[in-house]
Amino acid sequence: MSEKPQVKSSPSFFNNPRNRSLIYQFLLLAGLAYFFYGIINNTLVNMEARGIKSGYDFLFTTAGFDILMSLIPYDATYTYGRTFVVGLLNTILVSTIGIVLATIVGFLMGVAHFSKNWLIRKLAVAYIETFRNIPLLLQIFFWYFAVLATLPGARQSLSIGEAIFLNVRGLYLPGLTAEPGAGFVYAAIGLAFTAIIFLVRWARKRQNDTGQQFPVFLTSLGILVGLPLVALLLSGIPFVWDFPALKGFNFRGGITIIPELMALVLALTVYTGAFIAEAVRAGVQAVPHGQTEAARSLGLKESKIMKLIIVPQAMRVIVPLLNSEYQSLVKNSTLATAIGYPDLFTVFVGTTLNQTGQAIEIVFMTMAVYFVINMSISFVMNRFNASVELAERN
Amino acid sequence: MKEFKPLPDKPAPADVVGVIPWLKDNLFPTPLNSLVTLALLAFFVTVIPPLFDWLFFSANWSGTTQDACTNKDGACWVFVIAWSKQFFYGSYPIEEVWRIHTCLIALVAIIIASFKLHKDLRNKVAIPLFLLLPFFSIVILDGSLIGLAYVSTDYWGGFTLNVMLAAASIIVAFPLSFLWALGRRSDMPFIRSVSVILIEFFRGVPVLALFFMGSVMLPLFFPEGTNVDKLLRVWIVLTLFMSGYMAEVFRGGFQAVPSGQYEAADSLGLSFWQKTLLIVLPQVIKISMPNILATFVMLFKNTTFLLIIGIFEMLSTTQTALANSNWLGGHSTEGYLFVAVVFWICCFSMSMISSSIERKLDTSHRN
Repeated sequence: MSEKPQVKSSPSFFNNPRNRSLIYQFLLLAGLAYFFYGIINNTLVNMEARGIKSGYDFLFTTAGFDILMSLIPYDATYTYGRTFVVGLLNTILVSTIGIVLATIVGFLMGVAHFSKNWLIRKLAVAYIETFRNIPLLLQIFFWYFAVLATLPGARQSLSIGEAIFLNVRGLYLPGLTAEPGAGFVYAAIGLAFTAIIFLVRWARKRQNDTGQQFPVFLTSLGILVGLPLVALLLSGIPFVWDFPALKGFNFRGGITIIPELMALVLALTVYTGAFIAEAVRAGVQAVPHGQTEAARSLGLKESKIMKLIIVPQAMRVIVPLLNSEYQSLVKNSTLATAIGYPDLFTVFVGTTLNQTGQAIEIVFMTMAVYFVINMSISFVMNRFNASVELAERN
Repeated sequence: MKEFKPLPDKPAPADVVGVIPWLKDNLFPTPLNSLVTLALLAFFVTVIPPLFDWLFFSANWSGTTQDACTNKDGACWVFVIAWSKQFFYGSYPIEEVWRIHTCLIALVAIIIASFKLHKDLRNKVAIPLFLLLPFFSIVILDGSLIGLAYVSTDYWGGFTLNVMLAAASIIVAFPLSFLWALGRRSDMPFIRSVSVILIEFFRGVPVLALFFMGSVMLPLFFPEGTNVDKLLRVWIVLTLFMSGYMAEVFRGGFQAVPSGQYEAADSLGLSFWQKTLLIVLPQVIKISMPNILATFVMLFKNTTFLLIIGIFEMLSTTQTALANSNWLGGHSTEGYLFVAVVFWICCFSMSMISSSIERKLDTSHRN
């Protein structure tokens, strides 16, 4: 190999990969620069022609419109900045409820797919294949216009034990009103959670070190129920039930869930639940059957096989899929605007944009919010994923 | 020499074959399961007969106005029948509907051609035809360029619009997303970052926000006085949205092609584009087909979102029909059920095709 090549190969300038890639990238850069220059130029000209002043000053002017539902104090005298926060909180509310319920429904239905019972199995398949293949917007409309709108009026409300009422105006639940001293109970709940975290860590360490198991689940349950209960009794039960009651034409008191929220949550839960069920099914099916057989031959109980063998391996497939389902649930919650649930999209991109005309700022802010929410979901799920991932030995 | 003759198989024991053991195994395996089975059966018995009665036996089928729905215990299918033309064609002039049919037949013909043509011709014929189809359809449906009666896009609508928009978007998204996916794998840092930003942007933003961008912000981007048609803007948005998702599908496909294929192509001295188009692309498409179909189903379902920006696709037509003053009898269940069935049939058959391809590709011997 000491022999040198006879002819020194020197590719022409354009055939040199380095030069080539530089040229291509430069061309793309120039094209993009021209494109953005054109857009920005046009936008500035257009905005001037329409008399739109760019900037975020509009956030501090009075909004002057009411919002159907708000988690924080709000009326028409607050600013557009406040409408943004109201909408954001409503979006987070509906996404959180949707994610929790869809996960429960999805896991139940996904596991039902492996039931011994033929009827349950077929029911799970029917659920998945029906609701996965019907457009979400149609499902929202169905719940809102065909189901919830046909509920009886306030006087003929459906009720459970005179505490929960359901009528065309919404769902009325009894609420808890905190009185002075409730802080002790909240602190006790917090303390209980902290104690459980430490308990779980200690138990795992002890099992790793000595092999002895500790009844973590029962102890945790005891702590979680016991500590707040003790605090509740010691502080003299600082909570009062607030029951909804019919006053005039409508119910007062308690917690009101407006039909828009109900329809949206129902549709998102059922739709995303079907996708999660499918993910769970795929996850469980990805675990080779030999794993179950090996576990059985080791003499593990069926419940232990599920908990120790199947679930940890299935989670590796399920968690990344869950991540994308959660993200699409949050994105799909923008469909609220079709039935008028005041989420960020309805309030901000809908009403505020109409009133102020600040299209670019508003669309940009909204997109940024959805980006941040989805990034956070992704971050949490990736952390979770790292904990279930196959621990490879190096 | 005695010939070996196996004894005939003994029949399976009587307690594992037949209906009763099956019932015992699948419906009543444990006491708790038996209870569940009985509860479910009771539920079905109470729900299904009235449901069928409402859907079929007591339903009102004939007539043209709401007054024909005399039986209040049954569904009013008269509503769906009376509006069926609008559901499928929107307000497109009824004597010109053959144009919509022409476009749909062309679409189906090209899809069939791309499967059935001889493989030497397949790529050379089917791909250009696919790419031409959206423009061909626009010319035919619009009509003003070829001397047919002009039909403004304001009149396009109904289910056929859902189908055509979805098809037109995926056709253009195909080459675009392929380029983005290539860019994401590229060694050139600037091209890679641009691709990543494009893909993540169109995947990360709610599609509704993209539609609003298309209808509120795009007009600001064009020079003053240009009036871009609403449907055209929607088409652009749907195409970009679809490209973002498909680029990720293609990326998965690229990763699944064994690296030996790339190396073999390199050692044969193929150029980059020869390698990509002749060796890698066919394998990528084959591997990604189930996921492409799944993405297409999502796009197809998402075309209903166009209702929100005021395009008369099928769901939006249904809403209009439900609000019509001659039909204020609460037919929402019938209307939504009909739309749901139409979409369900399309989406379900596509996911069936997708999973059958998946099964064909899956050569692992699991279990």
